Amino acid sequence: MKNIYHGILNSFATVVSLGILLMVTGCDLNTRMSTFKPKGPVAQEQLDLFMLTVWVTLGIFIAVGGTYLYVVIRFRERPNDTRPLPKQGHGNPLIEIGLIGISILLLVIIAVPTLKGIWYTQTTPNEPASRLGNWYTGEGLSEGEDENILTIKVFGYQWWWAFEYPQLGITTANEMVIPAGKAVHLELRSVDVIHSFWLPRIAGKVDLIPGRTNSMWIQAGNSFDRWQKERQDSIDSINATTAYETYLRDEIDGYYYGQCAEYCGDSHARMLFRASVVSDQGFADWVADHKEGNPTTPEGDNWNDWYATYDKDPDLLVGELNEGIKLFVGKAQCNSCHAINGNPRAAGVGGPDLTNLAQRLSLAAGWLNHHNEDGSIDESKQLENLTKWIHDPNSVKPGNLMWIARDGRGIGQLPQEDQLTIEESRKISLFLQTLK
Amino acid sequence: MSSTVTATPTTQSEHPVVLSPERSKLGLLRPDHGKSVIIDWLTTVDHKKIGIMYGAIALFFLLVGGLEALIIRTQLAVPENDLISAQRYNQLFTMHGTTMIFLAVMPLNAAFFNFLVPLQIGARDVAFPRINSFSLWAFVAGALVINFGWILQALEAMGLFSASGPTEGMNDFVPAMGWFGYAPITGIKFTGAGTDFWIMGLQILGIASLTAAMNFTVTIVNMRAPGMKMMRMPVFTWMTLVTSLLIVFAFPAITVALGELMFDRLFGTNFFVTAGGGQPILWQHLFWIFGHPEVYILVLPAMGIISEVLPTFAKKPLFGYPIVVFSGAVIGFLGFAVWSHHMFTTGLGKVATAAFSLLTMAIAVPTGVKIFNWVGTLWGGRVRFSPPMIFALGFVWMFMMGGFSGIMHSSAPADAQQQDSYFVIAHFHYVAIGGIFLAVVSGIYFWLPKMIGKMWKGNLSTWVAIFSTVGLNVTFFPMHFLGLLGMPRRTHTYLEGFGWETYNLVCTIGAYILAFGILLLVVDIIRCFRSGEPAGNDPWDARTLEWKTTSPPQVYNFGKTPIIHARDALWEDKYGPENRKCGEQAEDGHGIHMPSQSWWPLLASAGFIPLGLGLSLMQAGVPFMGYFAIFGLCLCTVGIALWAIEGPGGYHLHPKKDA
Repeated sequence: MKNIYHGILNSFATVVSLGILLMVTGCDLNTRMSTFKPKGPVAQEQLDLFMLTVWVTLGIFIAVGGTYLYVVIRFRERPNDTRPLPKQGHGNPLIEIGLIGISILLLVIIAVPTLKGIWYTQTTPNEPASRLGNWYTGEGLSEGEDENILTIKVFGYQWWWAFEYPQLGITTANEMVIPAGKAVHLELRSVDVIHSFWLPRIAGKVDLIPGRTNSMWIQAGNSFDRWQKERQDSIDSINATTAYETYLRDEIDGYYYGQCAEYCGDSHARMLFRASVVSDQGFADWVADHKEGNPTTPEGDNWNDWYATYDKDPDLLVGELNEGIKLFVGKAQCNSCHAINGNPRAAGVGGPDLTNLAQRLSLAAGWLNHHNEDGSIDESKQLENLTKWIHDPNSVKPGNLMWIARDGRGIGQLPQEDQLTIEESRKISLFLQTLK
Repeated sequence: MSSTVTATPTTQSEHPVVLSPERSKLGLLRPDHGKSVIIDWLTTVDHKKIGIMYGAIALFFLLVGGLEALIIRTQLAVPENDLISAQRYNQLFTMHGTTMIFLAVMPLNAAFFNFLVPLQIGARDVAFPRINSFSLWAFVAGALVINFGWILQALEAMGLFSASGPTEGMNDFVPAMGWFGYAPITGIKFTGAGTDFWIMGLQILGIASLTAAMNFTVTIVNMRAPGMKMMRMPVFTWMTLVTSLLIVFAFPAITVALGELMFDRLFGTNFFVTAGGGQPILWQHLFWIFGHPEVYILVLPAMGIISEVLPTFAKKPLFGYPIVVFSGAVIGFLGFAVWSHHMFTTGLGKVATAAFSLLTMAIAVPTGVKIFNWVGTLWGGRVRFSPPMIFALGFVWMFMMGGFSGIMHSSAPADAQQQDSYFVIAHFHYVAIGGIFLAVVSGIYFWLPKMIGKMWKGNLSTWVAIFSTVGLNVTFFPMHFLGLLGMPRRTHTYLEGFGWETYNLVCTIGAYILAFGILLLVVDIIRCFRSGEPAGNDPWDARTLEWKTTSPPQVYNFGKTPIIHARDALWEDKYGPENRKCGEQAEDGHGIHMPSQSWWPLLASAGFIPLGLGLSLMQAGVPFMGYFAIFGLCLCTVGIALWAIEGPGGYHLHPKKDA
């Protein structure tokens, strides 16, 4: 019987192919968005639960799959089989009830930690260590927020993210900054269609649904206290200041990759975001820097003076940077949608906030990247990306509003004979590169 | 009521070759016994012909959906590929999902229901033969409306159509919002005419499914041969019954949701428009309260097929028949209680998340029971590796793997990482291809000889099995890893450097291997049709009633209605003791009553095409389309009215000898 061998071969081919696949592809699980390398308690809890389900199902797989293979091989038809017909048994209630009982037991093993996990991952903790008053030393904290943990309002747009820090009065876009080892509360809203906030190494996703506010909590890495407790022995040998540095280096990776996980239209694939995780001091510095924004022109002049000159006689403002600013507030009308803290005429709200844009390691919601291996910015790549994005946004991100805006002020809606030239795009980019 | 047509039996045939057509109460000639093959198939009410047409059309759409999948996989083979645009990609995955679920798997199941159920229960036809014909043609109409966008797109590509002049308001001809159509992306602000084609097409398909489901429910409850008690029915028939009830209870939810969405788009209501106080989340609840039972609507018939094939080729009765039937019913029931596990990330709240998490785990129990019982069926049997059996054995293994990733989803916190990632794609393709598809192929290898009376030639089936199982594993196993490494679903491209490149390339290679397997299947089916070897009544030494009659069965199925004394009626008839063998009903002298063929179900369903297209194009602002829709509605109404007035008709046949 050739067919017997085909049947067995078939199962074997499958098993072997699976094995090879595992070997070929299963090696590197330490990637940018790997849920196997969690940082922080939420992703860790989710991974632990996942691994529990893996072990339980693997057990079932070995037991049932093994029995199944045994049965198929053991009870196969032999060549010239002349045995009488098999006994026409109709089943065995005891075996069946027993198997049902075992299945239920196995599921209970998953169910109990699952219930715990649901409450744990969905209840924002309010531990003293995370309360703003206990770690935030910078300026701008609203009254009465000392006892609360940091809250970030996340807004999903087609196809970018706004991150608002209501307690600190700042807003940024596409690259959020959070303190290391502190629980952070996120409020998630969408202004158009459904999006989903997914930062795999820090937490699983929660959707942003128009018409409602969802929330979640995230924490990048263990808190410094817990980290110290866990490695009490090795800490003793290093002094306190270097311990915090070691903590930041070992426990916190610094830069995390996230992406929209709910289909949201044309450029869903290009709706990425980043989270920078910084030290307490680093966070305070970042907030202060962001609040101040860019209060002077790139050449160090007062913006009001610059605009006074601009209104009187723009031709007096020469040089590539000045040309860039003139395009920014003039022909290209960038300021009708974009805001830059400190710049009195850049206060648009329709598009991403551009304050300190040049500090960000990516552009166009994470799609265009310009950082080196060590996390520093590759400035020529940055200029190239900015120019590309401004000159032809629709090819970088099809359907985006910078190209065709609802109010008719998109770059693509400029008169046909007066489109932005590549040189003009480059000048705007040069100006944007000074925002840091 | 009906005028009886009796003709003299001829020597060659078992039933008369010449029957004169009867006039209906409308005074028109019925299309019975016509000489034209085309008219015969268009107006047929024979469940076997309808089943074959369902199968052929479904296989066509399976290939269309498969082609869409291949383009998707080709696009994703390398990072930042620009083979197709984002918009085209979104159209492709939307239509791939919609096509596979509604135009391939559901009608493939319907093909088996149609062909087999009346034969398995010893009936002459379904309870409502003309409704059966209506269901088929309504399905075709719905399929045309949903795919109309592709036709426009093709015409545009050829320069024969452009969105200008009267069609200026049209954009996005092809649906591009995912098969789940989450509001508000289906809103008028975000998508164009494609969404309307999708809404109208699905609504029409819903009508087709609902009428068919009611038809089968009535058939199974009322038309079983004497002695065919419920607990003696073949499991496939049982699963058809459960599936039909699921359709009857689940489809109203999507009908309501689609109706609301249609009103939002056409008449400016605000069910899902936040600006007007609507709630987009409502769509998800309505969709999944249909959508999850739908999963079982797809898979229960597959389980039914397997429950027929395994006992046949193990030469043993199904292990624990009552518990397999009962677990099928429990799955159907619980299927309505787990819909929110598709929505774990939407902010349900802890209690609801916990409840749906536990219920989802609970549904694994009856599913596991089926697998245990299938293994139990093989235990102590004599397993023959015939073509249908190879696929059935593959099904058990692959379906089990799909089940395991299902259990992983049931833990809500773990699912927060898996939801909307490639892990989910891996899970449901193991169930859909490793499960449903292998079962359907098993069913094709098992029953095609019965359907066409010809036997398979050669062992191409082995190669089909090897290529399809290897292909599906190579395609979908790496996707588990892709998902856990953070790759979200429904993305038309991805950046380099996230560790996804190798997996994606392997997946794409796998997709081509799988496609080659399916190609071989098509070749094998064609070879079977051209085969000269007669199948005989019972080529597999099978157990159920459909193998008692000729292959292909006569138009009247059974010359004399069998009387059933045991489960596995045919097996007992062959090998059982005397008191369990099948009996035969005595002839009452007036022959077998056959239903008349009719044009009106076809006309009524044809009305859906102008109705669906008219409403869609009206939304897009094409002039006079409202009238076109009204025309379609009139066509539909007239068809149903004439169908009611024409009278049931029918004629009698006198088979010469028993079949």
